Amino acid sequence: MNTTRSYFTRASFEANQTIHWEMLSEDHCEEIFMTALELLERTGAEIHNKDAQDIFERSGCWVEGARVRIPSALIEWAANSAPSRITLCDRNGNRALRLETTYSYFGPGQGKSFVIDPQTGARRKPVKDDAAAAAVICDALKNIDFAHSIGYPTDVAEKTADLHVFAALLNNTTKPIVQTIRGVEQAQAILDMAAAVAGDLREFKKNPFFAFQIDTEGTLVHSEETLAKVIFAAKNGAPFIFNTKLILGETAPDAPAGALVVALADVLVGVLLSQLVRQGTPVIAGGCFTIHDQENDMLPWGAPEVSLAGTGMSNLLRYLRIPSFGFAGASDSKISDAQMGLEEAFSMLHMGLAGTNLIRGCGVLEYGLTGSLMMLAMGDEIIGMTRKIIQGIEVNEERLARGVIDAVQPGGTYLGEEHTLAYFHKEFWWPTLMSRGRIKDWTESGSKSLGERAAERTMSILKTHQPEKLPDAVAAKLTEIIEKAAALN
Amino acid sequence: MPTLEDLSKCVIKGNVAKTKKMTQVLIDEGVFPLDIINKGLIAGMGVVGVRFKNAEMFVPEVMVAAKAMSQGIEMVKPLIAESDMPSAGKVLLGTVKGDLHDIGKNLVGIMLESSGYTVIDIGIDKSPDDFVQAIKEHQPHIMGMSALLTTTMLHMKDTIELMKEEGMGHVKAIVGGAPISQDFADEVGADGFAPDAASAVDLCNSLLN
Amino acid sequence: MTIRSNIKANQTTRMNVLTPDQCQELVYAAEEAMWRTGTNFHDEESLEIVKKAGCWVDGERVRVPAHIFEQALKTCQKHIVLCNSRTGARELFVEGYNSYFGSGPCTPFTRNPFTGERHRATRQSVGWATKVLDALPNIDYAMSLGIVQDVPLLISDRHEFEQQILNTDKPIITVCVDQWGQEDCIKMAEIAAGGEEELRRNPFICLYAEPISPGVHCREAAQKLVMGAKKDLPTIYTPCIMAGGTAPATLAGVMVQGLCESLSGLVLSQCTREGAPFIMGGVYTILDMTTTIFSYGAPELSLLLAALADVAHYLGIPMFGTAGCTDSCIIDEQAGIEAAISIAMTNMSGANLNHDIGYAEQGATSNLDLVVVCDEVLGMARRLTDGIRVDEQTMSLDMIERVGPGGSFQDECCADDDFDDDMDEDDGPSCACGNFKPRLINRAAREMWEKAGGKTLTQAANEKVRDIINYHEPEPLPKDIAAKIRNIVENAVGHMPGED
Repeated sequence: MNTTRSYFTRASFEANQTIHWEMLSEDHCEEIFMTALELLERTGAEIHNKDAQDIFERSGCWVEGARVRIPSALIEWAANSAPSRITLCDRNGNRALRLETTYSYFGPGQGKSFVIDPQTGARRKPVKDDAAAAAVICDALKNIDFAHSIGYPTDVAEKTADLHVFAALLNNTTKPIVQTIRGVEQAQAILDMAAAVAGDLREFKKNPFFAFQIDTEGTLVHSEETLAKVIFAAKNGAPFIFNTKLILGETAPDAPAGALVVALADVLVGVLLSQLVRQGTPVIAGGCFTIHDQENDMLPWGAPEVSLAGTGMSNLLRYLRIPSFGFAGASDSKISDAQMGLEEAFSMLHMGLAGTNLIRGCGVLEYGLTGSLMMLAMGDEIIGMTRKIIQGIEVNEERLARGVIDAVQPGGTYLGEEHTLAYFHKEFWWPTLMSRGRIKDWTESGSKSLGERAAERTMSILKTHQPEKLPDAVAAKLTEIIEKAAALN
Repeated sequence: MPTLEDLSKCVIKGNVAKTKKMTQVLIDEGVFPLDIINKGLIAGMGVVGVRFKNAEMFVPEVMVAAKAMSQGIEMVKPLIAESDMPSAGKVLLGTVKGDLHDIGKNLVGIMLESSGYTVIDIGIDKSPDDFVQAIKEHQPHIMGMSALLTTTMLHMKDTIELMKEEGMGHVKAIVGGAPISQDFADEVGADGFAPDAASAVDLCNSLLN
Repeated sequence: MTIRSNIKANQTTRMNVLTPDQCQELVYAAEEAMWRTGTNFHDEESLEIVKKAGCWVDGERVRVPAHIFEQALKTCQKHIVLCNSRTGARELFVEGYNSYFGSGPCTPFTRNPFTGERHRATRQSVGWATKVLDALPNIDYAMSLGIVQDVPLLISDRHEFEQQILNTDKPIITVCVDQWGQEDCIKMAEIAAGGEEELRRNPFICLYAEPISPGVHCREAAQKLVMGAKKDLPTIYTPCIMAGGTAPATLAGVMVQGLCESLSGLVLSQCTREGAPFIMGGVYTILDMTTTIFSYGAPELSLLLAALADVAHYLGIPMFGTAGCTDSCIIDEQAGIEAAISIAMTNMSGANLNHDIGYAEQGATSNLDLVVVCDEVLGMARRLTDGIRVDEQTMSLDMIERVGPGGSFQDECCADDDFDDDMDEDDGPSCACGNFKPRLINRAAREMWEKAGGKTLTQAANEKVRDIINYHEPEPLPKDIAAKIRNIVENAVGHMPGED
């Protein structure tokens, strides 16, 4: 299309390869980091784990009872020592998610108490099979990058619930997994299961296909159990997420900048501990934020402040070159409606634009109480749209289409142009659930809302999708590990 | 030697150059000209139409397939008596006076052509007189008018009335465009309305059968 | 005293799709297209004007030499203010990165908020729509949300304008059917403002015209643009472009095509009268290749318009954007998703005057429930774009120290200071601590929500719409002015398009 015959080049041209979006400036990231260092040096954190206290003491922290004050240099060392990138692989060991710079990956969240039954639409307690269903859906949805159960099963002993979830996920999807753990005992069993799938622990560490999610208590407090998990993961070189949850105006200052200071101070303690245990331990840091909605006396998950502070946290972690974990895709709506759609989309767009590496939380409604696979299916579509936007606009000679514009002429049409034929597939985003039918077509196909279409899609996936199963021998081994863990006291 | 099926595939793929080449070979080999059209070119286009409806093919692809088909037909045409030329019907299309929006009308044209209709597109900004003159000249079975504006759509009534005055009541008048509805079509005395290009084909089919 | 230097802050979030270099490249490509290919003007007077200014005119085809465009870029007014129609108070500063939002014009159909029936827009429906726009705090201006069709269609714009000015004191963007309609609307606006000069000094209307892509300026559009320039009133020139149909399928190509059309409009406006206030705009989206609709919900729309905002900022020309619209036929999850993405993106991009809130069904039908839903989304988007203030006070180091590990910040927060359960409609969109305060978005616990009827957001929005229509009283237009305006509407003469 270029009409010039010259072999010219041009110089000093700066292009955005993707969209560019920033909340905190670099100077402000630095400032918040410095303030968090000051906070840890001055106020310190409560460390309720004896091993951790000892480790900190040995490394030059000032320990008085549970209060540990940390010299800035130590944190700076740890932030550097932690890897800037972690690759999570699929179950077969193929490299899958590059948790570095601003690559964004999305996955489901977990309803605290309920799930929506995909068959009946009823809200009920989660069971083991829901984890398997979640895995099948995650496996089938193109834009969902990692798997996670949408509910914590209530039909198995609490002690082995994590293990049942992990086995169900492993057996029903090859996608990487984010796995929560109750305690070290479960962590050990899960690591054994992973080793069984990979062949041995060494193979797993080479190509890790899951990461532990460890949630800390926050507001500068870290419990015995939490830090035991960190020490366990670090000792074993297993990648883990160290996540703090803060409520602005309650467990953190209501000014987002203040909440970020606390959040950073929280996660840096986990990062430091892991690096002290074993330098180079792969750790993903994260913060989830909400506010206290006074009018309803609730902690909303669809509020814009969730994304606001979340974005700030992503900016900070990018500045520190620590892989980031964030939260998006949840709603305070009790049902599938426009509110659910807009809150889900709003948060996912922003966390994606921020370049958060691992984004959890898609498909949870009712302020975090209830997991919904239908909502997850809608989330898949939202991620598609978000990714189209994030990719930005490619500007080059072919795409500027100067020659085509001249060939078509005013009043002409681009429909039959070869240029159109060559590009329309790759330049457009292609919806799979969103309706673009005119009212007649939409009515004729049943006048269905997006929620109804998503429910149909979910059921059809559950009925027809065949994920790659684990070899029988491996599956048997996993069952064995679970049984053994159940027998332990 | 390529088969008629190969020719169909060529049309489906929208490969204009190859379609022409293959058509020439088939002509040279002495294949019955009407078969080349019916069992080769139009058959291929039929598949395209179905795939478009099922959202397996998309407008730009339909467009090039139609282009391939019509160029093939042009080559065979001299070998066939005009009365033998297969056509689902002849449709005359235009955008009404004062309106320069024509993408909708163009889409209708593509869809009709790919369904075997002969389409005469008289363009944009056409007065009732222009339509009537064109009908006299081309003798279509159906006359279609498009308008995007609530102001210009008023010209549709004038055109239909003029057609009736001129004794062209046998030509079916159909209308379309964003502000058009079935009610409006009834009001102006049109024989039919279609909300989009694909249904325009169904509409023409039902009007002629 | 502790001070420091060299700190760069983001006072708000910052977004660009394109770098200045890329903006420049797109503008040059558009300049080249205007020069080499040109655009068609179907209007004698416009052809005269641009010819006299030095453009190359060949029949309807106008090619613009680069220096004329570049001159136009220099002369157009960059600082545009829209005012309150009752008081003349200067309200919207359509410039820089300020983002204002309002509804869209010209849908043939609308949904009756009381019956749910889909019908052609009427005087009543436009009146209701305007009332709703007037009542919502995050809506900054009014567009009609429907073509009045229960009156003679050729003068529907006069009826539309009358309904608008009667029902809101917010600025009005008026879309007229032709130059005669625009003349009447300007006359009505002058009556309301108290004279021609008053309207020019404190304009509360903004004119609107759109070219037909690709590259065609129809007579009505050109005439409206010329009149806007002569009258020195802000005029929006906004192509509606579909990638793959009326523009190249590549997004960069869409930008070039759209800019070429907008900027040749700029040339006409500045050649008519140097310094005329001009707003470039667009609805740039894709032609959906499956359904052949012009998509109002596609992510490409938000992306392209965010990129256009970059170019507009680069050129220093105020921009007219698009958000709050959906392809969905009902106000369901999809409408929520599409409204959220388009509003969030547009607000972050800093496009100035943004329309089409309330468009459902690919822009065919206006829906007031959606307007109310969008008003909520706007609250969220505005909170987010406001960003994070970082300073010693907000970082709260001393407070954190005081509260200590595991402590509670509840008593430390501003929210309790003057938290008032009686907060009513007049309060701003956020509470004391700056958090977004939802009005309709439901955060209540399930039991509470069920007790209150277990409504979807759309149902709650619909109730709000009905409430506004039944009880909201817009600032009244003085009776004598209303009478004079009525007089113009009654005496309006329609012109058949395509005829003189």
